[in-house]
Amino acid sequence: MIKERTKEKLISIGLVSPTVLAIGIFVYGFIGWTIKLSFSDWNTFAKLLKGKFKFVGLSNYIKLLFQDPRFPSDLWNTLFFTILFLLGCVTLGIILALLLDRGLKGSIIFQNIYLFPMAVAFVVTGTAWRWIFAPGISAYPQGINLLFSKLGLDALRWRWFVSIEHIGPFNLALIPVVIAATWQLSGYTMAMCLAGLRGIPSQLIEAAQVDGASGWQVFWGVKFPLLRPIILSAMIILGHISLKIFDLVFSMTGSGPNLAVDVPALYMFETTFERLRYARGAAIAIIMLIMVSFIIIPYLISSMKREAKK
Amino acid sequence: MKRITTILLCIAVGLAVLGVPAAVGAVTGKLEIVHWWTAGGEGEALDAIAALFESLYPEVELIGASVAGGAGTVAKGVLQTRILAGNPPDSFQVHAGMEVRGHILAGVLEPITDLLDPAVFPKAVLDLCGYEGEVYCVPINVHRPNTLWVNKEIVDELGIAIPTLSDFDVFVAACEKAKAAGYVPLALGEAWTVNHLFGSVLLGALGPDGYRGLWDGSVPFTDPGVTLALERMKTLVGYANVDHAALSWDAAAQMLVDGKAVFNIMGDWAEGYFKAKGWEPGVDFVWASAPGTRGSFILCIDAFGVPKDAANKEAARAWVKTIASIEAQDIFNPVKGSVPSRSGADKSLYDVYLIWSMNDFATSELVPSLAHGGVLEALAGDIGDIINIFVTKPDVAGAQGSLNRAAIDAGL
Amino acid sequence: MAEVRLKDVNKTFGKVVAVKDFNLDIGDGEFIILVGPSGCGKTTTLRSIAGLEEVTAGEIYIGDRLVNDVPPKNRDIAMVFQNYALYPHMNVYKNMSFGLRLRKVPRPEIDKIVRRTADLLGIGELLDRKPKELSGGQRQRVALGRAIVRDPHVFLFDEPLSNLDAKLRITMRAELLDLHQRLKTTAIYVTHDQLEAMTMGDRIVVMNEGLIQQVDTPQKVYDHPINRYVAGFIGSPSMNFLPCTIVKGNGDLYAACKSYKLRIPQDKTKSLRDYIGKEAILGIRPEHIDTKDTITRKYDPESVFQASVWVIEPLGSEKLVHIKSEERILVARLDPHVDLKPGQMAEFIVKTDFIHIFDKETEKTIF
Repeated sequence: MIKERTKEKLISIGLVSPTVLAIGIFVYGFIGWTIKLSFSDWNTFAKLLKGKFKFVGLSNYIKLLFQDPRFPSDLWNTLFFTILFLLGCVTLGIILALLLDRGLKGSIIFQNIYLFPMAVAFVVTGTAWRWIFAPGISAYPQGINLLFSKLGLDALRWRWFVSIEHIGPFNLALIPVVIAATWQLSGYTMAMCLAGLRGIPSQLIEAAQVDGASGWQVFWGVKFPLLRPIILSAMIILGHISLKIFDLVFSMTGSGPNLAVDVPALYMFETTFERLRYARGAAIAIIMLIMVSFIIIPYLISSMKREAKK
Repeated sequence: MKRITTILLCIAVGLAVLGVPAAVGAVTGKLEIVHWWTAGGEGEALDAIAALFESLYPEVELIGASVAGGAGTVAKGVLQTRILAGNPPDSFQVHAGMEVRGHILAGVLEPITDLLDPAVFPKAVLDLCGYEGEVYCVPINVHRPNTLWVNKEIVDELGIAIPTLSDFDVFVAACEKAKAAGYVPLALGEAWTVNHLFGSVLLGALGPDGYRGLWDGSVPFTDPGVTLALERMKTLVGYANVDHAALSWDAAAQMLVDGKAVFNIMGDWAEGYFKAKGWEPGVDFVWASAPGTRGSFILCIDAFGVPKDAANKEAARAWVKTIASIEAQDIFNPVKGSVPSRSGADKSLYDVYLIWSMNDFATSELVPSLAHGGVLEALAGDIGDIINIFVTKPDVAGAQGSLNRAAIDAGL
Repeated sequence: MAEVRLKDVNKTFGKVVAVKDFNLDIGDGEFIILVGPSGCGKTTTLRSIAGLEEVTAGEIYIGDRLVNDVPPKNRDIAMVFQNYALYPHMNVYKNMSFGLRLRKVPRPEIDKIVRRTADLLGIGELLDRKPKELSGGQRQRVALGRAIVRDPHVFLFDEPLSNLDAKLRITMRAELLDLHQRLKTTAIYVTHDQLEAMTMGDRIVVMNEGLIQQVDTPQKVYDHPINRYVAGFIGSPSMNFLPCTIVKGNGDLYAACKSYKLRIPQDKTKSLRDYIGKEAILGIRPEHIDTKDTITRKYDPESVFQASVWVIEPLGSEKLVHIKSEERILVARLDPHVDLKPGQMAEFIVKTDFIHIFDKETEKTIF
């Protein structure tokens, strides 16, 4: 007779194993295959079809990182985009959450309005914001430039994502893309911060008020420190989205002039499916994987540590 | 007597049952074709030729599996997946040139030299469709990328003569005139259209032999012809609209229709666009060879082949044979806005522009295209990146160095 | 360092009246306690003084200042909350110094004040710990420390001892009193526990349903409750109430129950003149019931009554004996060694000098 305990164990294993198997094959197996591909020389369709594997070491990576005019600028673009995007979402999210936390009439409506953009696909967002930010030419402005022109604010007209202005390695053309992405996802940070704010006991706020804190000081001294873990986890989620961003850039701007808006995911797509350089595309994918793991792995380790402490 | 009759009857029945090879109507089953003709005009053209095919082979069900997405980038991905899985469609649209060469080298297509008559196709065209003496795909049409489109009203107003525009220096002077009058001289679109423009500029600067030499490795990119091309590119971009990176090719063409810009260098699918916007060829818009390229015709060819692993190879071969016929090409091309890839066309079916293009096709030097599959995709993509950067940072020496490196990287 | 005055303070939440016509003058340095059951309005009143609630009507003065429109941070008050409300992300030192840091007090000064207060409260070694690492009593002290460090005009306490266990509560009560004697700051203390109220307040304010019932020193409220509610609220176990009729007999007035009658003391008969023949409520505190066997002084034989013993609660220092008489349960506080058993019938005597009579309709105390 199988003991009760052992039976339970077997059932647990049985229920979990399909998922584990699927993840093992479709996630880790594929990651492994991509790594293998990135070390090969399969950079044409013929080579791919013929299937004879030739190990070329890190040559794909070296070509990408040191001999490619496009990839290093992609990495700078990703850094710039991520910084601005996270800053934008967190700041806007906190401000909106603070406003909604006052519980004024109609705040439920606004809560939903701010969350709606999350339901839209990035492709739709990209297309719509492209219309807004396409600059037109000076005689015939379009989109937001047209609005500025009609309002008499000609000084605000700019070339938006067609601009090639930059501060050091940071391309300002990314700013419209950041605006579109922040519009889409600040609802997420707002929802998380709102839940966090509502979880703060009101007596704590009152104690701070009695202690002499103004509204601003209550925020910095009490609310923000207690929101920090929530903001951190929101930043992790948003961070890995921004490192992998593709569909927004693809539908909104393409690579942009002087590759100002190019991102690694876009380059990977073109390299693999248009230029048929499969091994190099795989190398880009692996580099992106490493970038994302720099964010996710420390987070996982620290939350596992926190679980263990409990 | 009876015995001989029986034997004869058996033979007759046997022959009938076995079927006479290539008897029209004996081909059956499904014919799946992958293509990317989804835009206006393209779909109708395919429908027209499909109707012809189905009338010839009524037992065959033609399934057009279209994959939308500019110039077939998405279709290519779908195609690669299916070929890798060993399940290619029965036939698929492909650009003749290095693009189809990739499939040939991969062993995807089988030779179909017996399905067409080589005499009616120009040699340059067949070179792009074949490899080492065999032909692997049949070209259904020829588009012409190196065309200069002109807003007639504006040039009449500015007093610019059109035919001489094919001379590069004359063109630059015309642009100056247009700029002074407050128009955008050259309407330009996003990344790939810039690459497209560069193709014409390279051709103009190197001439057809030099241009061909770039792609077969006999002319290095360090050649002074390339330097000239880059200088000329710099000049032209100076006359283009500054927001070009935000415009698709048709949005750039629209600038002509709106009267904001005067010239546009684009393939002759732009003609379809102008006509769809209600413009009449010769009345509202006129054309010429792209500046510097008089006497040359860049080839942008759509072709179909027969995959080795096609499910219904008989039907595929029937399809390929059909499109090689002039009847099919005369049905397809007037609607598509391209010219037949072979001789024998019925000129009465084509409009003013296409007749000009056909005449030019018959008399010009035929060269492969940079942006439309004539050149190895990886190299074309790299050149596209380099030109994209060049347009905003016109460093001629630097760009030339990058071009050279890219060519070496591609194995030239 | 300041007095607090509430004048005609009213507070309503929508349709619910939480505090009605609250008038109170609190002297400088006084320890005053608001006591009453849940929902009586004591916490709302406290929060209104703190400025955490806006009054619907009336005025509040702290010192000589009208503070109705002054936000809490400028009223110079300090509050100790029931749940301590310590900042979880700060250690004890930072919790205590928060208010001072907001006021930009120089760092060495803060250090001196915080450490001095911490020593005063016996939490000097806990300054580096975070609230989650402290016990309930320690957290309470930190909350106290945070309030003391501010050196305010008024301390406000919102049921600060309710979350502590019984033994700790008793210790903290004494400590709070000691602190009050040392700091001499005006303190307003809210509690639902009448024992806390009695033991700690200079004066207590008994509240019920938003209204003040009685304000006086604890002893006076105990001995002379103003109405039946206060009489029943203050004192544990609470006063026994019986229905009775006021009758005349032998030249005296009696409170007559079914089986016995209690002679009204001479000096109180005048106040009952209008009640002769009417029904009233009789109130007897448990300590004013004796067994016939144990009584030593003179007693009125007419105030003896028979009752059966229902339940005995021995407390060690005394015995609480629940007795059944005339379908009611009375509680008597008896000598701890008295020999009674449940179910036993015995004779009991009431000390009539200390009985109370309440008007049946208005429930006001007659005496």
